[in-house]
Formats: sequence, C-alpha cells, structure tokens
Amino acid sequence: MKDILVLMEHRQGAMRDVSLEMLSGAAKLGGTVVAVLLGKDVDAFADKAAGLADKVIYVNDAMFENYNSRAYQKALEALIAENGPGLVLIGNTAQGVDMAPALAVSTGFPLVTDVTAIEMDGDKPKPTRTFYGGKLNAHMNMKDADTYILTIREATFPADDPSKSGEIVKTDNPVSDDLSYRQFVEYVEPEVGDVDITQSSLLVGVGRGIREDKNLPIVEELAKLLGADLAASRAVVDAGWLPSDRQVGISGKTVKPKLYLAVGISGAFQHVTGMKGADVIVAINKDPDAPIFGIADYGIVDDLFKVVPKLTEKVKELKGA
Amino acid sequence: MCAEELDFIEKYDLLGCIQCGRCTGGCPVATRTPLRVRGFMYDGLNEERLEELSEKPEIWDCTTCFTCAARCPKGLEPLEVLIGLRSLLIEEGKVQPTVRDALESIFKDGNPWGSPRSKRMDWAADLDVKILEPEDEEKTDVMLYICCTDAYDPRVMKVAQALVKVLKAANVDFGLIGEEESCCGSEVRRLGEEGLFEMCDEENVEMMNSYNVGSIVAISPHCYNTLKKEYHGLKHPVLHYTELVAQLLEDGKLTLNTEMKKLITYHDPCFLGKQNDIYDEPRYILTRIPGAEYKDFDRCRERSLCCEGGGGKMWVETESKEERLAEIRVDDAKEMGAEVIAVACPFCLLTLEDATKVKGVDEEMRVADILELLAEAL
Amino acid sequence: MNMVVCVKRVPDTSESEVHIDGSGKGIDTSRLSFGINECDNYAVEEAIQKKEALGGNVTVISLGDKQSDEVIRMALAKGGDDAIRLEDEAFAGSDAVAVAKALAAAVKDVEWDIVFTGALTDDDGYAAVPVALGEILGVPFATYVKKLEVMDDGKKVKVGRELEGGLMEMVEMTTPCVLGIQTGINEPRYASFKGIKQAARKEITIKSASDLGLDASDCGEAGSWAALEQFTPPVVGEMAEILEGEPDETAGKLAGILKEKGLV
Repeated sequence: MKDILVLMEHRQGAMRDVSLEMLSGAAKLGGTVVAVLLGKDVDAFADKAAGLADKVIYVNDAMFENYNSRAYQKALEALIAENGPGLVLIGNTAQGVDMAPALAVSTGFPLVTDVTAIEMDGDKPKPTRTFYGGKLNAHMNMKDADTYILTIREATFPADDPSKSGEIVKTDNPVSDDLSYRQFVEYVEPEVGDVDITQSSLLVGVGRGIREDKNLPIVEELAKLLGADLAASRAVVDAGWLPSDRQVGISGKTVKPKLYLAVGISGAFQHVTGMKGADVIVAINKDPDAPIFGIADYGIVDDLFKVVPKLTEKVKELKGA
Repeated sequence: MCAEELDFIEKYDLLGCIQCGRCTGGCPVATRTPLRVRGFMYDGLNEERLEELSEKPEIWDCTTCFTCAARCPKGLEPLEVLIGLRSLLIEEGKVQPTVRDALESIFKDGNPWGSPRSKRMDWAADLDVKILEPEDEEKTDVMLYICCTDAYDPRVMKVAQALVKVLKAANVDFGLIGEEESCCGSEVRRLGEEGLFEMCDEENVEMMNSYNVGSIVAISPHCYNTLKKEYHGLKHPVLHYTELVAQLLEDGKLTLNTEMKKLITYHDPCFLGKQNDIYDEPRYILTRIPGAEYKDFDRCRERSLCCEGGGGKMWVETESKEERLAEIRVDDAKEMGAEVIAVACPFCLLTLEDATKVKGVDEEMRVADILELLAEAL
Repeated sequence: MNMVVCVKRVPDTSESEVHIDGSGKGIDTSRLSFGINECDNYAVEEAIQKKEALGGNVTVISLGDKQSDEVIRMALAKGGDDAIRLEDEAFAGSDAVAVAKALAAAVKDVEWDIVFTGALTDDDGYAAVPVALGEILGVPFATYVKKLEVMDDGKKVKVGRELEGGLMEMVEMTTPCVLGIQTGINEPRYASFKGIKQAARKEITIKSASDLGLDASDCGEAGSWAALEQFTPPVVGEMAEILEGEPDETAGKLAGILKEKGLV
C-alpha cells in the first residue's frame, strides 16, 4: 500500500486536535503514515506528530507562519508530486476546506469532503460522508486515480497516545510562487460578552425549535431556576435571538458543563461537536429521529412548549421541598 | 412613484379626514405605544413624507383592531393608512426577519409558522375525520377551515380538536380540506403584503369553490373576516364556528350534560365583534354550559379591549415596556373574580394565556377557547 | 463592480424526516418543501448590498431544472439584473467539481469582479464549490466568508473568514475573485410577491452543456470526483434513555433525575 500523507493543522501556536486524530486514523488504514508540517519554528509540533507518524516532513518557513491556503496548496502540490502518496488526508476545517478543493483541481486527483468513515479497497478509499445535515449517510465511489484526497471531519477518529518515533525530515520550502494576491492580515477574536459559557457548569442550549425570540422567556425561566446559563445553536444566533458568544459548536464554543439541557436542538454535527463533552446531556425535542437523542443520556420526545414549563414547575417544587 | 403617491391620498380618502382625533382617542395601543394614527392621516397628505412615515417603527404597533374605523365620523379607515405604509416597506424588502420568514413560509408552504405542508394535518392524526374531495358529487354540509395557528401551534391545536369533537357530538356532516389547505392571508394583508394576499385570495377561492359543500365554517375570526369580506368570488356562505354552534344548541342538536361550576367571562375578539358584529352567539353558548356562571367584562362588546394579537403582531414585537393590553385584561378578569376567560380566537388564546403566566395567575385563572369548554361540557 | 451570484434550490430537511427512495441514491421529496439554499440566500443579499453601495450589475446563475426559476426570480426580485439557468440531463449526478466546471463555463461570458456562492449547501454539504470554482477560473478565492469590505475602487477586497471557535481570519485579496458566503454575514431582505411577479418578466437564459462548450466527460458523474453509491440511515449510537409519558410525567421524571445527580 502506498503512503498516506496527513496535513498537520495548527493555529496561533497550538496544534489542532484533528491533526493527531488523522494520524491515528491513518495508522489503522495500513501503509506508511507521513505527516506534513508546514509552519514557522514549530519544532514542538514536529515532535508531537512524530509520536504518531512514521515520518514527518517539516517545512520551516516564514511563509507558513499563518495559514495561507495558497501557500499550503502550492506546498502540497510539490510534496505530493515528490512523494507519490496513495492518500492525502486534510482536516475538514475552515482552513482545510479553503484549500483542498483547489488542490484537487490543480492536481487532478479526486476529492471527497467531510468524510466520517473510511474503508480501504486495496489502494482505493471508500469514504462515507453525510447528506442533509447528518440525516443520511452517503457511501461514495471515487473516480480511479493514483492519489485520493479526503478531508476528514473532526472527531472522526480518536487521537491515540504517541506510540511511534517517526523520522523528522526537514525539507526546504518548495514554494517560490508570488502569492501576494492573497494575504493574511490578522485574526480577530470573537467578542466576549457578559457570560463565558465555556466556564458554565450548567447550560441550557436553545435551538431552532424555539421558533421565535419571544418564546425565549420560557427557557430563560428554567435556566434561571437551575442556575444555568443559556447557550444556543447556530440558527438561534444567526436569527439574532441570542448573541454570538452563546453559540455552541464548531464555529462557536466548545463547552464541558456538568449538565447540557438541549431544548429544541436537533443535534446537527456542527452543534454536537461543541457540547458532547458534557457530563450529562438531556434533550427535549419533538422529532423522535432527531440526532441529538443519539448522544443524549436522557431524552423527552415531546413539544418543548409543553415540557419546559412543566419541568420548570417540577424543579420549583423540588427546590421548595 | 408619483402616481402611486397620489393614489395613496385617494386610496385612503385622506382629504376626507377632518382631524377630529376620535381615531387616536379610541386607539387601544395609543396608551402604551407612540402610535398616534390621526397624525398619519394628516402627514400622509404630503407625498414627500411617505417614505419617512413608513420608517416610523410605530406603524407596526397597530393591531388593525378597527376601533379607529368604527369611531370615525367620516367613515374612513385610518388603520388602512398604516397598512399602506407597511406595504411601502414590504416592496423594498425592508421588514423584520420574523415578518420576512412568516411571509416566505406562506408563499412556500401555505402557513406562516415555518412548517412544511406535510405536517398540516398532524393535529388531526388521531381523529377520524373526513377529508373532502374536490368535485365530489355528494354534498357535504360543512367544510371546516382550520386556521394555520390551530393546525400547527401545539396549544391552539386543542381548539381544532375540540371543534371536531363538538361537531361529531352534534352529528354534523362535515369535512376537512387536508394538506391542501392554505393560509387565508388575513395577516398577510395586514402586514402590507398586498401581492401575496391577492395570491391567497385567488388560489383559495378557486380551491374552495371546487368543493361541493353547503357552507364554510372558519375557526378563527381572522380567517372568517377575510373569507367573508375580503375574498373575491367565493361561492359558499361563510360562518364563524360560534354561529354554527349556537344554532346547534338552539335546535337541540347539541346537548351539554357535564357541569362546569366556574365563573366564566368572555373576551370579544376584535375580528368577530367590532368587525363583524358577532356578540350574542358566543354569550348564548357560554350561558348554556350547565353550572357555569357568566359575567361580562366591564369593557365588552363594541368597547372590548384588543388583545394585541392581530394585525401581524404575532411577528412584530412592540418595543413598549408598558403593560400589555392582554395583561390589563387579565387584571380586569381577576378583579371580577372570573375563573375562566373564554375566547373564540387563536390569537386571543395565545396572548391572554401568556398574560396569565406573566401575571402569575395561571394556576387560578384559565384561558380557554369556547370550544374547549364545550367539549368538556358534553 | 459587476457580480455573479450562484444559487441552488434545495429541499428543506431541517425539520422533516428524510426517507431514502427506491433507488437508494435519492430521497423521497414529495413531502418536503423547497427553497433557496440557506448560505446562497446570504450570498444574494451580499451581492445586492454591494451593488447598491457601489453600482454595477448582478447576474444570478443556477444549475437546476425549471423549478429552480422560483429561487432565481426571488433573487431577481431582490435586485438581481440578469439570470442564467444551466439545465441539461448531462448534469445529473454532478458533485461539487462538476458543478464548479459548469459554473466556470457559464461565467466566462459574463463580466464580473466577484463571483459569490454559498459556502456550502444544505443537501450534500460538500462545501467545495467556491474553492474549486476559484481554482478553475484561476482567481483568488476564500470561503466561509462572514465579512466583506471592498477596497481600492473594487481592485481589492478584505474578507473575514469564520474559523472554528468564532475566530475570524482577515484576508486581503485582489479582484476578480470568488467568495463562498457563510450564513450570518448580513440580514437577507424580503422579496415581495409583487417583486417576484415583476421579476417573472425578466428573461432567464437557459444554457445546456453544449452551449457552455462542455464535453460529456466534464459533466455529471463522469466529470465528478466521486459518485454517490448508496444512502444508508445513520448508525445511531447508544440512544438516550427516553422518558415516556405525558409532559407532566416526563418533566417530573427528569426533575427527579436532575435532583438525583445533584444538578438541582
């Protein structure tokens, strides 16, 4: 089996979890796992990658100090041509998705994005991904090629403990193109509001099921009684019903409260990623097929407008007792 | 644009206004919002100011309750001026996201609640009810027209279910339209979306005319008003359910056997009372409930206070921090010792029930549709 | 500043059950409602706002059958000027790259400085069209764009890309360019019924694969990176313990559990 090239993703001085997850997953597919690390003075990440890879290709260059999808694309084009891997794994992240499709176009190698499982058929991967917001799994048949490119959804593979000591090969920057047509300017941190939900020990998450902002008070009342803070799904934040610092999920916060009570949240992957680490997850949703019930510990399949006021009542009684 | 603005003056007969102020004087929301409708009757004469007027947030405070029109000595309808101003914004697409979503949902799925058409009949899933077929040779006496709010709102759904129970008890020959049923457009028109209302009018009239029925019975006064007075070419007579049920009681086809020892009062919906003069039927029905004691609000019938649920207000939040009219209504009911506020409109049900919770009296005071009380009294 | 905005008509499955059809490769859409893809709606608004601020022309392009005219007309009603619909049986089974190839061919005959697309679609969620399209056209691109500022008389743009955790990556690019728009960048306006009716008078140019100069090998499954082999229902993990009963009972049980776990 041919080599598997895995792109390491890092940002603001931290290695992203998806990088180690992909190395761990690649090892289980068989073949030599080659980590590609592009950065500026990130030797520590090279050591980290070496713990899960057979080989680390490390390009240390100022060009890679911050992520620039064009620089990454050009570097990968050169490294793929040189190493001839059978498979290239890239995180299905805001960075990976900003680059992988262009890499696939420029190299002519096929790409499947947002992969959640991989089976190998010889050298050819048979990826699975989801359609319709996670409501269906789709089994994909890729066009035959020498190299296949996949972007891997975060948390698809568990990250293993380091068990290898791959060779770190420092490589000259293969990119000499003028990339001035697209330049990194800066990172802008999200605004911090009055409540930091990453620190909350009890959270009540509100989703699209709440229908209108004027329905929020029934959930607020429960949250207040429980001493919990309100969190929200993307839909609720996009609608402007709660501020963006309350958003839980990939593009929001990752929270680990003792209790996450999901009210009217269907449990799209993007949201679940941000809250699945909660100790106890409870879901109230009228759709029995809502994916949230797949990760919740306790569920009530009913109308939130019926259940939440009753729950408030019952908690009040318990507190009074 | 110029021709359109001249139209504005003619369309609402602004030159006929004598600025007497009876409209603002009687306006129920003038007590809690900056809306002064008389001013709009005057300022609307200046065509150059229409755009500026349309951007005043208070035009969305009007509940289209019709009090201003009912009080106007010149027979004008000041509320229509506010609807006209709303329509200027609608044309520009400049409306609140909640209004936008409600209107888009009506255009796409025939209801303002963002739910698919395929879920329209969920409320009747466990009921054995006839679904009417267009062009059926056999005539059905009554076609029920279920309001979108009754069909989709989990609380209000119970009212539609109660209606089915009551009509079955009275052996009425009735049927439902089913998933083809679409929003009547009453709120669409009042939100200022004239074009979409015309679509509702045309499509619903064509659809309803294709059925072989004796009459159409609407569950919501808003639908009733629109079907009866605003549609063009509807061939079936339109009744509100209170008219049908009162007749069934009078004819002895419906008997009430279960006692309800409660003091009941009744909140007149604007679209049933003020706008359609149906005051007696609801009271007739309520006074037939065995064991019940009936008492009117001090402000009742023509003088009844609006609940602020109509005129598109389900999708527009008023900024005013003053007490809501529905809360005042609940206070009044509490003062007279009422245990039940009976209503005959889905919006009144939602706004008043909400107000009992805000006031913390939801334990001792019940808000229920007349139909729910009837179903219990059978 | 001339712009192109690409839109797709998709089923709304956010609150509906999704059933696989007999072929195993499609879904039963008979009970679903359709509308514009959510991100695309924001892309349309962004294009119109930039047109209102800077002048220029907005061309709406959609790949789809006649029913897609509905979402095209809504975009025209909001302020779009021209429309092209790409329709051909050869497009069936297209994945992101095959769609990008068709769109790239379609914009060749249009004058533009920015092509807007949604960052991803609600149906397949490939999230690959804007970036693939940019590469095919040979222009700078960025996706997950949640902020856009046009600079230097339209010669440059500064975009904010939404990264994980709400972090924004600010990037400057030269135009022409392709931008994949993320939801929340603006507040999409309402398209009035009258506006949609008036937009119905505007002509929608229909183009087939051959009109676009595309070979069969560029279109549909042949032109795609991958073909959908089969849908399966998702494997559910260990399901939640579902509390049964009327709201009163379930709420009571849940309150009890919370108490037991020391959460109340």
